[in-house]
Amino acid sequence: MALQDWLPKNKTDRKIIHLDMDAFYASVEELKNPSLKQKALVVAHDPRKNNGHGVVTTSNYNARRYGVFSAMPATKAIEKIPQNELVFVNPDFKVYRKVSSQIHRIFQEVTDLVETVALDEAYLDVTQNKLGHNKTTIELASYLQKRILNETGLTCSVGISYNKFLAKLGSEYAKPFGRTIILPEMANIFLKDYPIEKFPGVGKKTLSRLHDYSIYTHDDLVSVNIHEFLRHFKRAGYDLLQKAFGIDLRPVKANHLRKSYGKESTFLEPIHTKTKAKRMLKLYCDEIENQLNLENLKAQTVVFKIRDVDFNTSTRRQTLIQANNQSNEFYQIACQLLDDFESELNIGVRLLGVSVTNILDSEIESISLPLFQTQ
Amino acid sequence: MKFTIDRNKFINHLNHVMRAISSKTTIPILTGIKLELSTEGLILTGSNSDISIKSTVIKDTELQIQSEGNIVLPARFFSEIVKKLPESIFTFEVKENLQTVIKSGSSEFLINGLDADNYPRLPQVSKNLQFELNGKMLRNLINQTNFAVSTQESRPILTGVHFVISNNQVKAVATDSHRLSQRILQIENGPDNILDFIIPGKSLTELSRILSDVDDNIQIQMSENQILFTIGNLSFYSRLLEGTYPETDRLLPDSSTTDITFNSSKIFSALERASLLTHESRNNVVRLVINPELHQVVLYGNSPEVGNVEEILNVDTLVGESLEISFNPDYLKSALRAFKTDQITMKFTQPLRPFTVVPKENDGQFVQLITPVRTF
Repeated sequence: MALQDWLPKNKTDRKIIHLDMDAFYASVEELKNPSLKQKALVVAHDPRKNNGHGVVTTSNYNARRYGVFSAMPATKAIEKIPQNELVFVNPDFKVYRKVSSQIHRIFQEVTDLVETVALDEAYLDVTQNKLGHNKTTIELASYLQKRILNETGLTCSVGISYNKFLAKLGSEYAKPFGRTIILPEMANIFLKDYPIEKFPGVGKKTLSRLHDYSIYTHDDLVSVNIHEFLRHFKRAGYDLLQKAFGIDLRPVKANHLRKSYGKESTFLEPIHTKTKAKRMLKLYCDEIENQLNLENLKAQTVVFKIRDVDFNTSTRRQTLIQANNQSNEFYQIACQLLDDFESELNIGVRLLGVSVTNILDSEIESISLPLFQTQ
Repeated sequence: MKFTIDRNKFINHLNHVMRAISSKTTIPILTGIKLELSTEGLILTGSNSDISIKSTVIKDTELQIQSEGNIVLPARFFSEIVKKLPESIFTFEVKENLQTVIKSGSSEFLINGLDADNYPRLPQVSKNLQFELNGKMLRNLINQTNFAVSTQESRPILTGVHFVISNNQVKAVATDSHRLSQRILQIENGPDNILDFIIPGKSLTELSRILSDVDDNIQIQMSENQILFTIGNLSFYSRLLEGTYPETDRLLPDSSTTDITFNSSKIFSALERASLLTHESRNNVVRLVINPELHQVVLYGNSPEVGNVEEILNVDTLVGESLEISFNPDYLKSALRAFKTDQITMKFTQPLRPFTVVPKENDGQFVQLITPVRTF
C-alpha cells in the first residue's frame, strides 16, 4: 500500500476562510492615537517602569522591522528599537474585546459557523452562508474585509481554502491586508516549498527529531515509510503527514460554551485595608459585567476568591435569586463575602478574584412564582 | 465503662446515628459520636446541630453491660473500625484518660476519646403537642414533596417543606419558586389544633432514609423550634425553620384552557431523550407545541453545539386551545417521578403562566406546579 492509502480521503468541497486582524492590538492603539503610526509601537507594559517585567503582546509593522514580535520580553524592544522611535503602550483588553465583538457581529452576518481562536483570529465555514449562493468565496472574504475596515478602521488578512490548515497558511502568506486563495489543485504546489518547521506542531524539538530521520523538506515528508514514521512520531506524526498532503478534516467548530467569567489578580504589595480590597472588587465586577454584556449573558452565582500572604486560599460562593448581569449586584455580594476575611486582611491579602458561574442567555428568563408579593 | 455487644446489632444502630454526623461542623465535638451506657442499655447520639439522632440499644443477651459510663469518639474512625472488626462480637472499654479499647478476636484498637460532658445537650421537646403518623405515609409524603425545596440559602424559608396538620389531614408543600409540589393525605387522630411548621429539606432527606423500612406508627412531638420523631428506639430531632411560609394556595390555578393526558413513563422517556441535548446547552429548556387540530404534541430540545431533537409525543387525550410553551425538562421529570400513577394530566393556561401536573384521576390531593421559561 502506498503512503496515501493510510491517510483519510481528502475532502475539498468545503469553503473555509481564516481571518486574522493585522497587528490587532497595535492597530487599535493607532486608531486611538494616530500619531503612534509614525512610531515603532510596542503594546506592552514599559519594562523601565515595571522592574524589567513585561512581554510584547503586539508590535506595529514599524517595530517589526526592527525585529520586535509578540511574546518577546519587552526589554528586547528597548535593545532593538532606537530610543526616539520606540513607544510602549499598556495593553487595554477592555477595548480590544469590544472591537473584537464588533468584528464577530460582522462574522455572524455571513455564517454562524465561526470558530474564534483569539480576539483577533477566527475560522469561518462559508460552504453554506447567509449571503446567498451566488456569492463566490472570494467575494465573501472581500466583503468581510471591507465591512471590518469601514466599521472599525482596521485591516485584516484572509486566507481562503478547503480546510482550516490551508486557510491559515493563506492568511499568513500575504499579510497585511492580504487575500490568498489556495484551490485544491494548487495545494500541492503551495505546500511543496513550505518549510517543514512552519507546519503547525513542528517546534524546535520535533524539527531536530525530523532531521534525525533525514526529513528536511516537504518532499522528504511525503515519501517517508509511514510505519517507521508513525512509530516515532505517533499521533502528532499522523496529523503532520495529513497536512503535508493538504488534508485537514477538522470541522470549524462554533465556540465552546464558557462556564464562568471572572477576573483575579495578584498584588505585588499585599492589601491590608477593606477600602482598597473593595476598590479592586469593584473593578473586577465592572469587567465581568462588560464581558457578560458583550455576549448577551447573565449569571446566577458569584464566586469570591482570596489568598493571604501565607498562600492560604479560600473561595466562597453565593447564588442569586435571579440571574443578573449587573456589576453592582455582583459587587454587593463580593463585599459581603469579603467580610468573613478580616484576619486575612490583617496579615495581608496577595490575591483577590471574582468570577460568576451558572451562566444563562439573557434571552432566557425562568419565571418565578409570586411567592413573596402580595398580589 | 465497659460492654460487649453483637457487632451487627451495633452497626444497625450506628448507621442510623451516623446520618446526623458531618465532618464539616462549626462545633468540633460534633464530629464525634456519643456513647452513654447505663444499666438499661446503650445510647448512641450523633448531631450536626440541625439534626440530632439518638438510638437506644436495650440491654439483652446481645448486649452485656459490665460497668456504666460515657464517652465521645471520633465518629468516622470509630464507625470504620467497628465495620472492619474480625469477629461477630466486640468488647468496648474506656480506660484512664478517656482512652478507649475496642477488642474483637485478636484485634485490639486503642482510641483517644473526648469527655462526654462537653457534648451539647439535645433539645428538650415537651410532650404537650403530640400526635402519631404512619411511617410509610410520612415517607411517601416526604418523597413526593421534598425534591421541590430550594437548595439556595438566599431564601432560607424555601429550603424546607411546609406542613399543615389538622385533626384529619396533613398538607405538605415545597417550592423553590420555579416549581411547587403539594400533597394532601387524610389521617385519623391528628392533633386537635391545626399545626403549621416548616422542616428543613435536609432533615427530611435523612428522616426518609431512616423510615425506609418502617411501616409502623411513629410519635411526633413539637416545641417552638424543634420537632422530635420517635421511631421505636430511635429519636430523630430536627430544627424547625423560623418565619412564615408564603401563602401558596392562591398560586394553584383553578381552571385551564389546554389539557393533555398521557402515560407517565412514555413522556418521562421522551424528556430524558430531549435532556440529552438540553443539558449540553446553557439554558436547559424544552419547547412543547400542542396542536389540538392535528391532535399532536411535539417536544423540541436543542443544544447549539450538539444539535437538536424533535419528538411527537404519544398522548391519550388532548383538549382545548393550541399552545406553545417552554420549560425546564428536569422539573417535569422530577414531578413525574413523584407520582405513583401511570396516567398523568398536564393543565395549561397561557405560555407564560405556570402549568399544573396532576394524576388523571384528580382528587385534588396531589398537585405539582411548574413555571415556564420565557424566551425572548
